[in-house]
Amino acid sequence: MNMHKIISGFFFILAMTLNFGFFYGDAELIDHHSAYELFAAIVVNLIATVLKLGDKTQLGAVLLATSLVADIQLIASATVWAVALYVFNDIGVEATTAIVSLSGGALLANGVSVVLFISDTIKSKR
Amino acid sequence: MNDQIFWIVLKRLRAPLLVVIVTFTISIIGLILIGGMDDEGKPYHMGFFDAFYFVSYMATTIGFGEAPYTFTYPQRMWVSGIIYMTVIGWFYAIGSIVALIQDDALRKAISRNRFSKQVKALSEPFYIILGYNSVTKDIINRVGVEDYRFVVLDKDEATIDELVLENFYPHVPAMVGDVTKQYMLKMAGIHQKNCVGIISLFKDDSKNTQIATICQLLNKKIDIIVKGSSPRHLEHFKSMGLKHVQDPFDIISNRIYYSITSPHIWLLEMWTYGHSLNLRKRDLLPHGKYIVCGYGRMGKAIEKGLKKAGVEYIMYDIDSVKYQKENKTTIFGDQKDREKLLELGVESAECIIAATKDDLLNLTILNKAKKLNPSIFTVARENSLEELTMFQAAKINKIYILEKILAECTYNCISKPLLDTFILEVRKKDEAWGKIIVDMLNEITGVSPHYFEVEIDEEHAYALSLELEKGEKIHLSHLRRSRENRENILPIVFLVLKRDEEIFLIPDSQMPLRLGDKLLIVSDDENREDFEYILNNIYELEYVLGKA
Repeated sequence: MNMHKIISGFFFILAMTLNFGFFYGDAELIDHHSAYELFAAIVVNLIATVLKLGDKTQLGAVLLATSLVADIQLIASATVWAVALYVFNDIGVEATTAIVSLSGGALLANGVSVVLFISDTIKSKR
Repeated sequence: MNDQIFWIVLKRLRAPLLVVIVTFTISIIGLILIGGMDDEGKPYHMGFFDAFYFVSYMATTIGFGEAPYTFTYPQRMWVSGIIYMTVIGWFYAIGSIVALIQDDALRKAISRNRFSKQVKALSEPFYIILGYNSVTKDIINRVGVEDYRFVVLDKDEATIDELVLENFYPHVPAMVGDVTKQYMLKMAGIHQKNCVGIISLFKDDSKNTQIATICQLLNKKIDIIVKGSSPRHLEHFKSMGLKHVQDPFDIISNRIYYSITSPHIWLLEMWTYGHSLNLRKRDLLPHGKYIVCGYGRMGKAIEKGLKKAGVEYIMYDIDSVKYQKENKTTIFGDQKDREKLLELGVESAECIIAATKDDLLNLTILNKAKKLNPSIFTVARENSLEELTMFQAAKINKIYILEKILAECTYNCISKPLLDTFILEVRKKDEAWGKIIVDMLNEITGVSPHYFEVEIDEEHAYALSLELEKGEKIHLSHLRRSRENRENILPIVFLVLKRDEEIFLIPDSQMPLRLGDKLLIVSDDENREDFEYILNNIYELEYVLGKA
């Protein structure tokens, strides 16, 4: 048991599950997607990214890259939301699909990250 | 950036970044949950964007005021709490980042990276210089732009800073580090194809030996130029098979010998170091009795030269350190010293050489001797270049500066290899031969002619190499024709022709040329240009060959 492994594993998986929770639902209805969940997903993703900093192995580099992708996608999704809401005063179907599909991309990146993390754990014999 | 240090250092950013993320999150959630009131007194809740916006400018202490509406008391209570939390978190993060930038390990990693990139980017042939000082600086300056590039390693950071301030053109990559470490040498590009050699001129012989051994193990192909002065180390260098070993004391010993016995040979040698090709009486060491003050390495070298030349001499063993301790001064010349000089026979001596390690002592010895015998010829050893003007003002007849001699010899060895072989060949000849050559050079090319080297290949002699490839027989005399009128002779002299390992000193004018020959030529600048025209321009060459 390794405390650092537990914490980082916790955040990596939580980032993915929160991301999924936000993504799940009708892609055209904004009511199916909670702003709170998006906020939580962004924060947890950022924390996961920071936890991946400073790992100089090859795997660490790939993990950091996937995490950065997820961050960018989620922040873009939140930005679209804010722009639609405050600048255009209307969240239409177009904005909703953009928000949801951006988070879907982030979900994919998070999925890759978790798969890599788990496969590395399985590979190690301790 | 592949340096591992970079990643290790990046790890230190984890804690501050986490603190920022967590504090921001708590603040934003609090602001969203706590109810507010808008202009019209209606209750409202902040959105995520409003909260993020407010926290961003609050935490960074920019503070645009309360937005979008004036806060209620519950909101203000929450904000007064989170101000302290977020601002402290923010400053902690900023402080960590600044500390990181100034981190010594990171800075070293970055400068090492930059250095090895610069070295890898060198496309010209280059030398690695170990230890930066006045000698190596002189070498860098002399070799100049066209010949070679340099890479410098030195263990002292201040010296490297000095080099950076020098602003050499082209740029000289320099790095602080232990020169006896393999990884430093590797970083300086010892394995690179265009690395020609390594120059190690440390005062400490054993350090030079160590470096030479490491370098030879790392790369067998490169030239290793080392300084060595003690017989034991010289023997070791010889057994290693090094071609270029610079022993300044040996050079001085030789110079003294030739200056006394065969001045024209001496003159030819000095000419290659920039002396004018004109034998003046005052440049020559006199024949007669010599007094040598100082019996260290320099004194012994002088003794060797004088003995070989068969001159009468007397050695006075004066140690600068001991002298200073006994007399509490380095000014030579009290009553006791005077008597000592008289006892050595200063009044009947022709020449006095002051060869101690202390410049001031050397100066005062010569001064005193001159007072006792105004016609005596004075020779001084000068140790540091800074005091040159002082020596010049003292009207000393001859000054030997070890550093300068070392720099000159190393320069010739790097940049004018044929000149180096020329000196070695000339030393085998006798005085009469030397006189003939000097007279001939004076006759044809004047008092201060220049020398240059030409290799007969497509790059340096295009037209000539074309003709030679065709199988034309071209003699040296063919090239010694003026391009204005081929009946006239171009005033240049061929000093050395090197064919593979064979060396022809003053080659015969009927000697046919071959591709790959290297020539050492003497002329003035104008005729050099003419000569290069003939070598490279087909029409000019055809004209002097008598074809057109």
